[in-house]
Amino acid sequence: MQALISHPREAFPVAPGHGRIPHSSAPPSGEETRPWVLRFARVPDAAQAIVRPPAVYDNELQMSRGLYDGPLPYMQTHTPTVPDGSPTNPPPLDEGPKD
Amino acid sequence: MPAVLVIAAQDDWPTDRVVKALTDGGAEVFRMDTAQFPQELSLAGRIDARRGWSGGLTTAHRAVDLADISAVYYRAPNPFDLPAMSEPERRFAAAQARAGLGGIITALDCRWMSHPAAMSRAEYKPLQLATARTAGLTVPATLITNNPAAVRTFVGEVGGRVVCKPVATPVFIEGDQLKTVYTRRLSAADLADLRGIDTTAHLFQAWVDKAHEVRLTAVGERLFAAEVHAAGSAGHIDWRSDYASLTYQATTVPDATAEGVRRYLRRLDLRFAAFDFVVTPDGTWTFLEANPCGQWDWIEHATGLPLAQAIADELQGAS
Repeated sequence: MQALISHPREAFPVAPGHGRIPHSSAPPSGEETRPWVLRFARVPDAAQAIVRPPAVYDNELQMSRGLYDGPLPYMQTHTPTVPDGSPTNPPPLDEGPKD
Repeated sequence: MPAVLVIAAQDDWPTDRVVKALTDGGAEVFRMDTAQFPQELSLAGRIDARRGWSGGLTTAHRAVDLADISAVYYRAPNPFDLPAMSEPERRFAAAQARAGLGGIITALDCRWMSHPAAMSRAEYKPLQLATARTAGLTVPATLITNNPAAVRTFVGEVGGRVVCKPVATPVFIEGDQLKTVYTRRLSAADLADLRGIDTTAHLFQAWVDKAHEVRLTAVGERLFAAEVHAAGSAGHIDWRSDYASLTYQATTVPDATAEGVRRYLRRLDLRFAAFDFVVTPDGTWTFLEANPCGQWDWIEHATGLPLAQAIADELQGAS
């Protein structure tokens, strides 16, 4: 049975136009106004982040290829979402259709 | 010729594996990202009394007729990349694109992995828990609330052994720093100050003693399970917090759990989901959550479970 849809966004979700994770310089507000669970937020362990090899998308192959000879990029890494804490390098695709 | 439509970000490398498995198997593949529309991807779909949606999706490199699409693999594509225009025009154009391109694609009567409407719905943790329970899976006692008194009552009822976790995405940026919230096992000190509970919905769950966890990847009717063993204390509570401490081992799924998982998938109209279970020391599998677009590539690498091939098989109706 198909799900009932309350909003067209839910029927065809794409990543938000402002980026998967909106950037902000705003600091935490205060204990009365900050969501309680955020007191346990932390910057992820950058030591566990893995640098992905440079690649470009090949329209003929319909997949990424490396800039140099060697195995295709997807064969060089098997990285789950490991954000490294850098707001300019947000984690790769997280789970979910996201919108 | 029947074609598989793949809708994903171009830099989603696990999708590369699926494309490779499909093309190696002789399938015709048309891969696109919604970010290509409208500047690099053109649409000319039509319908009339004689036939359903047909016409072309076309890029500079290939084309596919909508009527030939036999399956769609949908995996978190990017937003439409519209040409320069005013902000009101942009909002209008994005809505038209979503309803036009998205509307035609989601109207395709073909094999889906999975239909995006079903995926959107299945992202909600409260629905996941309710569906798992009615599907016969064991679920932990869970409270979602913005009421501090309800938190105290719940903690008392479960004997003080409780975790909290975000109800929705755990990652955000503030103060120019990317942060995340992992599952936290709460101490009495954590629970002494509940200011901020009333600002939004919070999720609390009874702690389940664990021998290890299991990531069960469901692809159609096929179930691929991997034990996740964490060597460190942080990874023992939330394995996402310490990947370096993890080891994996392929395992089998108890029959009752397998039946429950398949019922879950049918009820939410999903052909793929990544389930997380806690396995208790006595061997009970307790459902935590199931992500309709979960990551799977590293599990394949760590265990040898043939997930990319299974996805390709399912898309071709060969599983």
